[in-house]
Amino acid sequence: MSQEISTLMDGELDSDEAARAIRALCASDERRERWTTYHLIGDAMRGDAGGRAARAQRIFDALEREPTVLAPRRPLSTRSGRIAFAAAASVATVAVVGWIGVQQGRSTGADTLARGAAPASSQPAIALPEPKLVNDYLVVHRQVPNAEFYRPASNRVPAAAR
Amino acid sequence: MRVAVLALAAWIPAAALPAFAGPGQDPVAWLQRAVEAARTGTYAGIVVHATGERSSVTRIAHFFANGTEVERIEALDGPRQEIVRRGDELQCYYPDAKTVRLDRRVTARFFPTLIFGPPEALAEHYDVKLGSVERLLDYECQWIHLDPKDTLRYAQRLCAEVTTGLLVRARTLGQQKRVLEQFGFSELRLGSAVPRSELKSPFRSLSKDWVKDTRPLEESRQVDTGWLVAAPAGFRKVTEMARTVPGRDRPVSQLVYTDGIASFSVFIEPLATGVRVSESASAEGDLSISVRPLSEYVVTVLGEVPPAAVQQVARGVTRRP
Repeated sequence: MSQEISTLMDGELDSDEAARAIRALCASDERRERWTTYHLIGDAMRGDAGGRAARAQRIFDALEREPTVLAPRRPLSTRSGRIAFAAAASVATVAVVGWIGVQQGRSTGADTLARGAAPASSQPAIALPEPKLVNDYLVVHRQVPNAEFYRPASNRVPAAAR
Repeated sequence: MRVAVLALAAWIPAAALPAFAGPGQDPVAWLQRAVEAARTGTYAGIVVHATGERSSVTRIAHFFANGTEVERIEALDGPRQEIVRRGDELQCYYPDAKTVRLDRRVTARFFPTLIFGPPEALAEHYDVKLGSVERLLDYECQWIHLDPKDTLRYAQRLCAEVTTGLLVRARTLGQQKRVLEQFGFSELRLGSAVPRSELKSPFRSLSKDWVKDTRPLEESRQVDTGWLVAAPAGFRKVTEMARTVPGRDRPVSQLVYTDGIASFSVFIEPLATGVRVSESASAEGDLSISVRPLSEYVVTVLGEVPPAAVQQVARGVTRRP
């Protein structure tokens, strides 16, 4: 579903697909929450700092829940980039909210579609950066990964179950 | 310069001198002293680190013997984890996973060791001044202010215990002097008050049959990545490496730069097929991140500098001809 949400926000679904995605979106609190979060990211990017602290707390909470994993995951290149991107979307909140600055190179078509899909909001679609990428780089830069990094695989909760 | 300061100090009437034989009023000499004290001093205590909205608490013990510093750092929050640092060699113990990770310190910051290289270099890009004297943890401490001369680094406030010069507190300040990051002892013992036994890690013997992750150490050696980075004035390259990063099937190029107190890493990896990356920047605490596509690569710049600095650096990456 994360995949569909971010594809929807990118304006890459045709109108039937978009309608289906929106129905699915509205059917679940969790999905609605995710949609809201994505748009909050959009707010943050446009420099709307209102209520940011409360949001940031949610983000940090999410970061705490998201272990950094050393065990080899399926490399990105073996999967569709689109899916890999969206699969990371639940973590995206971590790395992306508070994104302040430049966001370039989006097509206006995508903006229009996203607006059409969600009349209540006028946010442009956003292309999420690869948040896992950023998190893993942070570990490399800081050089001291937290204990989750070496947690045995059997003890790890799969991302989908979280 | 230091000779001149000493001569000046000798000339000042005794009544005007503080009760210690310190470095006088030369702020750079204070920085030099902080570097030496962190490296060669004997100290132990509890260190609190806060950045953004996160904090962590560690217990540290530090000794200097036979020309090498040895430091033990235990995480007191969350899962058990311990680091033994000998100079730049790091052994990180993860008891739950029965793993010991070997690495060489490049960018890791272990308070009160925060300054890389000669402190004189810091004075070129920061106005270094002495601030107030304050009592912290029952020690008399001297604040040292580092205010950046450009917009590509943050202000730093360091507080040194006056008799040894050891840093007791350190703050990174953003706009409007907002504290972005803070290190501080919440308990500190100096010199003979620290028994040598505190250095002994139980994991040294316990870890004999643990998994040894030696890859970080092996990958810490310098390589030619083939990339050029136009770093802002004052940031010098520390090293460039090929690092294994989870989820990537090929090593990622990492180039590391520091101005002596703030550092950033430049990561360059091939863009996976079908993945779209937009230029974006982010900040949390004193950490800024910029991601930028560069033909079939993705450049990620991440470090303890303002967002403007990581953005500028990300735009200045080129392939060496």
